[in-house]
This record gives sequence, structure tokens and C-alpha cells, in this order.
Amino acid sequence: MAEPVIRVRDAGIRFRRNRRSRRNFKDLFAGRKRRARANEFWALRNVSFDVQQGEAIGVVGRNGQGKSTLLKLVAEVILPDEGSVSVRGGVAPLIEITGGFVDDLTVRENVFLTAGLHGMSRPEISAQFDEIIEFAEIGDFLDTPYKHLSSGMKVRIAFSVISRLEEPIMLVDEVLAVGDKNFREKCYRRIEELLAGGRTLFFVSHSEKDLRRFCTRGLYLDKGALVLDGSIGDVLDRYNTDYAI
Amino acid sequence: MSAIDVVRPPRSEFARYRRSLWLLTVRDLRVRYSTSALGYVWSILDPLVMAGIYWFVFTQVFQRSVGNEPYIVFLLSALLPWMWFNGAVSDSTRAYIREAKLIRSTKIPRTIWVVRLVLSKGIEFIASLPVLALFVIVTGATLHWQAVYFIPALIMQSMLTVGVGLIVAPLVIFFRDLERATKLALRFLFYASPIIYGVTDLPPQLHLLASFNPLVGILSMYRAAFFPDQLDPLTIGIGAGVTVVILVAGILIFTRTERAVLKEI
Repeated sequence: MAEPVIRVRDAGIRFRRNRRSRRNFKDLFAGRKRRARANEFWALRNVSFDVQQGEAIGVVGRNGQGKSTLLKLVAEVILPDEGSVSVRGGVAPLIEITGGFVDDLTVRENVFLTAGLHGMSRPEISAQFDEIIEFAEIGDFLDTPYKHLSSGMKVRIAFSVISRLEEPIMLVDEVLAVGDKNFREKCYRRIEELLAGGRTLFFVSHSEKDLRRFCTRGLYLDKGALVLDGSIGDVLDRYNTDYAI
Repeated sequence: MSAIDVVRPPRSEFARYRRSLWLLTVRDLRVRYSTSALGYVWSILDPLVMAGIYWFVFTQVFQRSVGNEPYIVFLLSALLPWMWFNGAVSDSTRAYIREAKLIRSTKIPRTIWVVRLVLSKGIEFIASLPVLALFVIVTGATLHWQAVYFIPALIMQSMLTVGVGLIVAPLVIFFRDLERATKLALRFLFYASPIIYGVTDLPPQLHLLASFNPLVGILSMYRAAFFPDQLDPLTIGIGAGVTVVILVAGILIFTRTERAVLKEI
């Protein structure tokens, strides 16, 4: 079997239960080996799995069971306290997609800025610029400051930019719940195109329909542990029996 | 960072860092100039007004016994680099908070959020140098060969500012009071460093102690271009040592607190 593109080994991460609780210098510098204190909990623990190139993985679980945390660990925007997460190749993170956009700059400047920060070169952006704009249906607002766009337009242009990144791994959080029905369908078609092109997908959603549509394999998280790693059908069945209404 | 190994040639990783740094710096400058009518004027107006005030107070009101002639050149040659240090350090208290959304969505090495502040303030510093040149011409100050010390001064100040920024930026996340404490410390440091006076004006018994403030060595190197008597090898040597210690401490503190910071923002 080929080298996995994502390899997660015994990963664990803990958070403080109470934001206001006192913290001291010793905690701050104690590093990875320190054991959890009374006011901390493990958001994820002992999670291990491998992802091969081209797989489409859906993460299933109730609210607060560590789904988004897992996604952030794979995006490497937070770091595990235990174990390791290694990702081969770049990641196109569809989480906090509007993060790189600056209110005072125009749409055009923002496209170059955000795509650049995510690793695209200037000629690459120029070559794809028209497609990005067309996809977002935002042609008339190229020189409008970003802050004057409607919230729907903001998400559209952000999705359009991030989904153009030439990265082998796509991470999708529930961002797509925004935008109107037409645009959502367009986003989904774009994701399917990318999947067909051999990308790896890591998808977090509550929608059973969407999960079945994109994913072949499921990860079921409950109480910070990986309970089941199997085909998406099995995972959803198990989830539905555990939490039958 | 042992837990994460991204299989990518190290050079391209570095190239990406450099490119991102450049993009962020250009963005800062662009935002500044697209939102304010006066743009560039602001980056020279501030030191100009300050220099005007000090010049008035110390040459017209008080009978000045410190500094050298022409005093306005003496003042500006230290005030401009000071404003770089001051601006970058006070901005670095908000380095993480201001960019929280972006930090949550990209994995560019996190030192970039401090380094870019030092870089963009450094560019502003360079851009304000024509003001100094103007006063040099007007007052007819002589330029000495010691102007070459400008380069080591620039390098040492960049190292020091990055080091201090790397210490301040993460700690502010955990101790919000540090934001105000930093402002206070900077105001203290302004008078504790030879800006409105010269190193040679200090009482001899304070001289050695003052050398442990790396800004003393740095500012005297900038000044040497017009006032070579300000140079003191021992002061510069001690200052360079302290600078390295601060930079290493900054890197250590920054990397040790990184995972805690990322959870917090």
C-alpha cells in the first residue's frame, strides 16, 4: 500500500474547562509531557488513523465530540499535546475561509492576497483569476472594498479562492451551510470535480445526505475518542442507533 | 515541532515564508495608504513633530547641556530608529489578536506574525530617513566614514526587535495586563536610552550599567555617522551579547508557548 497522505498516531489534545481559571508560568512552559490538570479535559485522545490519497472521509459525531478539533489538527492550525499528526503535501482548508480577507482592500487585491498567503504564485493566480471571479458571480464588484460586499458575496468569493488552491488535500467544515441553495449546489459540484481529480477530502458535517454523497469512509467520534472507522454507511448506521430519537 | 513533519523540500518552505512575509507587508502598507489621505506623510510627520517639540524644549526653553551640535540632527539620528523599535514592539502586543482569523486558517510558521511587524515598521523607518538627510543638508552637519555602522546597527536592531516581539506577543495572550505594562516599559526605555541625550552625557558610574541596554549600543552606532565620539566598542559588545540572549530567549518562549497560544486564540 502507498504511503498515507495523512497519518494520525495516538493524537490527543486537551483544553481548559474554564477560560477564567488561573494559569501560571509553570503550566505555560511545561511542554507536552505534563499530565492533565483537574480543570482540563481531553477534547480528543488516542485517535489513530491513516488516510490514503484520493479517499473521501466524513467525520461524524454529535456537537462537541471533537470533530472540528480533529479537522484543525489535520489542517495543522493547532498542535496535538500527545501523539503526532503528519500531513504529506499541502492542505486547502475550507475552514475560516474568510480569514485572510481584509475589509479595506478591494476584491481584486484580496484575491491575490489570500491566494498568495495560501501558497499560490502570482502567475498562477492571474491565470485563474477570471475563473475565480466567474465562479463567485461577483464580476461587477472587482474594485469594491471587501467590507461593502454582502455576507453571501463574501463567502462566495472566499470559497471560490480556497477551492482553487492546487493542494492535494481538502478540508471542509460546515461553512457551506451559508449561501443560497444555488450556490451551495455549485460548491458541492466543485467539490465533486476536485474529488474526481484525485483529491483527498476530509469532511465534517451533520447532514447525512451530504456525507453519503461525498464520502466513502467514515470516522465516528464520541466523547473525544474514535469509536468507529469504517465505510460511511456503517458509520452512519451506528451513529443513528446510538442516538436514535 | 518534532510531532509534525511535512514532506516538502525545505527551500520551498522557506520561499513560501518569505513570500507570505512580503505579501503581508505590502498589505499593511497598502491598507495604510488606501485608508488615509496623507499616507506617507504620516510616517514622517510623527517623528518630525516630536523632534520639533524636543528641539524647542531643549534648545529654546532650557539651556541645553546635553547632546551635540547640530542638536536636531543629533536628536533625529536616534529618534527615528527609536520609533521603529517602539512601533514594532507596541504593535506586537496585538500581533496574534489582530490576525486571529487568519492564524486559525493557515499554517505558515507563526513567527511570521511578529517578523512582519518588524519588517513593515523597518520599511517605514527607512522611508523616514530623507527627513534626517534634509536636516543634515540644512544644518551643514558633516558625514563621517563611521556611517558604515548603519549596517550593523540595522542588523542588531532587527534582531533585538524580533526577539522582544517574540517574547511579548505570546505572553500577552495569557496575561492581558502585559499590553499596558509594555507601553509603560517603552516610555521608561525612551528616557533610559540615549535619545534626547548622548551616551557621553551619562555619569561615568552609570556607563557600564547602561551598556546592558542594547539600545544604547545600537543608537550610538546610528549616531556615529555624524558624531563619531558616541562610539564605544565595549558598549556595542555588551549590547550585541544582550541582543543575542534576548533573541534566543524570544525564540524559546515563542516555540514553547505556541501550542497553548493556538488553543487560546
